[in-house]
Amino acid sequence: MSAMRDLEETFKGACAALFDELSGGEELSVGFSGESSDFLRFNRGKVRQIGHVDGASLRFKYYRGGRSLASGFEATGEAEADRRKAAMALEAARREAALLPPDPYQVLPKAAASSREEFPGRLPDPGRLPQEILGPGQALEAAGAEFVGIHAQGPICRGAATSAGARHWFAAESFIADYSAYLPNGKALKSCYAGREWDGGEYARRLASEASRLEALGRPERAVPPGEYRAYIAPEALAEFIDFFSWYGLSERQIREGESAFISLKEGRTSLSPRFDLVQDFSLGVEPRFNESGEVAPERLRLIAGGKLASTLVSARSERQYGLPANAAPEEEFLRSAAIGAGELDEDRALEALGTGLYLSNLHYLNWSDVDSARVTGMTRFACFWVEGGRIVSPIKDLRFDDSLYRVFGDRLEALTARRSLVVNPSTYEERALGGSLLPGILLSGLTFTL
Amino acid sequence: MTMDLRRLLESALPAGVEWAALRRVRSVERSYAAKDGAFESAALYEDEGFMIEVLSGGQFGYAGLAAAGPAAMAAAAARALELARSASGRSIHRFGTEVRPATALSYETPRGRRAAPGADLLAGGAVALSRAMRVSDKIVQASAEISTRDLETEYVSTSGAAICQRTHIVCYGCAAVAREGSTIQKRTLNGPRGRTRQGGYELLDFPRIEAEAARAAEQAIELLGARDCPSMRADLVLAPDQMMLQIHESIGHPLELDRILGDERNYAGSTFVRLEDIGSLRYGSELMNVSFDPTVAGEAASYGADDIGAPARKELVIKDGILVRALGSLESQARSGKAGVANQRAEGWHRSPIDRMANLNVEPGKDALPDIIASVERGVWMEANRSWSIDDYRNKFQFGCEYGKLIEDGELTRTVRNPNYRGVSSSFWRSLYKVGDASTFQVFGTPNCGKGEPNQVITTGHASPVCAFRGVEIFGGEQ
Repeated sequence: MSAMRDLEETFKGACAALFDELSGGEELSVGFSGESSDFLRFNRGKVRQIGHVDGASLRFKYYRGGRSLASGFEATGEAEADRRKAAMALEAARREAALLPPDPYQVLPKAAASSREEFPGRLPDPGRLPQEILGPGQALEAAGAEFVGIHAQGPICRGAATSAGARHWFAAESFIADYSAYLPNGKALKSCYAGREWDGGEYARRLASEASRLEALGRPERAVPPGEYRAYIAPEALAEFIDFFSWYGLSERQIREGESAFISLKEGRTSLSPRFDLVQDFSLGVEPRFNESGEVAPERLRLIAGGKLASTLVSARSERQYGLPANAAPEEEFLRSAAIGAGELDEDRALEALGTGLYLSNLHYLNWSDVDSARVTGMTRFACFWVEGGRIVSPIKDLRFDDSLYRVFGDRLEALTARRSLVVNPSTYEERALGGSLLPGILLSGLTFTL
Repeated sequence: MTMDLRRLLESALPAGVEWAALRRVRSVERSYAAKDGAFESAALYEDEGFMIEVLSGGQFGYAGLAAAGPAAMAAAAARALELARSASGRSIHRFGTEVRPATALSYETPRGRRAAPGADLLAGGAVALSRAMRVSDKIVQASAEISTRDLETEYVSTSGAAICQRTHIVCYGCAAVAREGSTIQKRTLNGPRGRTRQGGYELLDFPRIEAEAARAAEQAIELLGARDCPSMRADLVLAPDQMMLQIHESIGHPLELDRILGDERNYAGSTFVRLEDIGSLRYGSELMNVSFDPTVAGEAASYGADDIGAPARKELVIKDGILVRALGSLESQARSGKAGVANQRAEGWHRSPIDRMANLNVEPGKDALPDIIASVERGVWMEANRSWSIDDYRNKFQFGCEYGKLIEDGELTRTVRNPNYRGVSSSFWRSLYKVGDASTFQVFGTPNCGKGEPNQVITTGHASPVCAFRGVEIFGGEQ
């Protein structure tokens, strides 16, 4: 708890320093990301790198006289040093902004509400991480696999404040053990154990049960030729598609600017399957509802309902520019806390429903291959299998797929599972991420594989 | 040194530490964006922090922090030491100080114009670039962004390392999106951030860039009326701005020694290259020569030493098509027994360095561009990357470009849109049959190569001549 408290004090102190320095006619919105993280990276069941990072990043937007500038600095947690940094950053922002052209769609901070959510957790002793994380990995090693991955833990905090009075704080102590087990034939399974309450027994049981899944991966590999196959996409694999609703996705701005795969959906030229629903759902509780400007999003926002576009992601800036009501999207208008609606397929009968085709546990390195037609390409990865008569036959040699989202979530979408899994965001770019998606598995009558 | 880092390090260390180092990283980033002839946004970010690293019983432990006070620094050193000690008996390798050389040097990006223009000029430049792309009513978005990053890294160790490096990166990009009916096409200047270079403000030659931006917008319009790239197996000629991506994904990443050693398998992936391949694998045709060279003036990832103090030097990694050396740091070299390069680099003060590409370049060959085109009976010229995807063993790839031209009977003919190609790294490079001469050689870079756990992005540079490949699977858009 003390690290979480220290981060909150750092946020408050830095905000106070910034707001105290403001002169008449100046306004600010402040966003904060903080963490106090232990990292253990491992390979072959051994420690590759081990360390700790304390981060407290302040990002603010400065407004004066119709001009705006984004700025920021790294706070130290040392009060006097942070006051000095805040004053210098504000001074630099004033100088820089004064030289800029007016911001044609400037939106001054209006948000004035406050919120505070804090989720203390129970984490392993940082001084015993190698034993705690790598010890149970011996179950995988005993099954002939190499244990590879990363464990990260500690508090993650987000804050937002505005000169209009908003004050928001979200903090959670959490851990994620993100790992894979590699057999000598190069086949591997991947999984993760994440949460707020570490349970060493549960972790050990999970690893032991993974070991039993390795048998099928040890079978001879099957090279499946390119073509169209029935496919079951597990929730962890489906998670790889979620970014495509943000990147050239459901942003109102991107649609208006011709940079979205969903323009034809918006214009009613195409639709997705009536089975397909996509919601931004903060009731998942994995990230805060407030954005960097302190605006609070609705708890649930239906984006695609019954295969038709129900709403786009609209920031306050887009509201000003296009005259649409905003829904507290961040300025970049990306999707948070995604949830795809459940179906009726019993997950335990997914293989049976698949019959003959491909079971895809994970996908890798997806990218648009043609935005206009919403075509996405990517690779199979980890435990992907050829299935016949509802039974796993053999692991497959990696395959490349290339198909349109209008087919995957459209006429090829045969069923969705009734049970959904929360797939947490494991990203540690710049900082440990919050967030995740609630996803079913999906059964496709066909997915096109090209290489 | 702008701070007395050595004193800070020594005062922070607990008794009995066998070796330690302190790295200070300060960056200042500026960006200016414009859209459709109007100012859009500007940013000014400063970031400064420290990483302390200690060695105990053959294991390094690290702690990253922004605070420079002695108490915080001492606590960080103690935490790093505690974590290193906790790994006792479980380390993947017993490292020693030989992987942290006591290098003393300084490096700074050579620059023509050092003084930054004012924000008014840079923002105005971005506005003018976006305005220059409004060549038709069919341009539905014209955007431009200029960004600069000044990075200062200082490094001292208890064994005597003393390194100070200042790099200055300038990156700019322009994008024109054209629409007619339901057809949308986009053209940029050499891909989204291909124009990433080290240098001064001489790189921002606005009159020249405005002309190039207008040309890009005209090509976006041209693409609206072009046919889709045909699907066929044919010869492929890649411009240097697409070679950048081809080099990065199918030479650079597969040759990273930490991938060969399995460190990346849980995240970015492994590689088809095995340790025993180094020195003997025929990676490409005899025309293929690839260098790791962090000493090229002006290329994006040039430096004097990597982030553990290994001095930078040029090394040939593929010679006459044979893999002769992998991209492995001193740590990876110690683990594998293989020769490597000076490439252990970190994103910033909050990340520990890992094996990275720096500047990875295809060396020029002997063929003039007209001779390359004339050598193609049926094929496609492609330029500027827009899509990239490759498997976790860095073999099966699919890449897409913004702009293509058919080559028929030795001549460039019709423009084609949505040109894509796919292949397998290990056979693709063996089909290389023409390598352009120095007149076709161009330097590009990217600021956002992602890798590592915890994740890191880093700048890499890639330079190449025009190259031609035989019998590649080529295809177009909607299929």
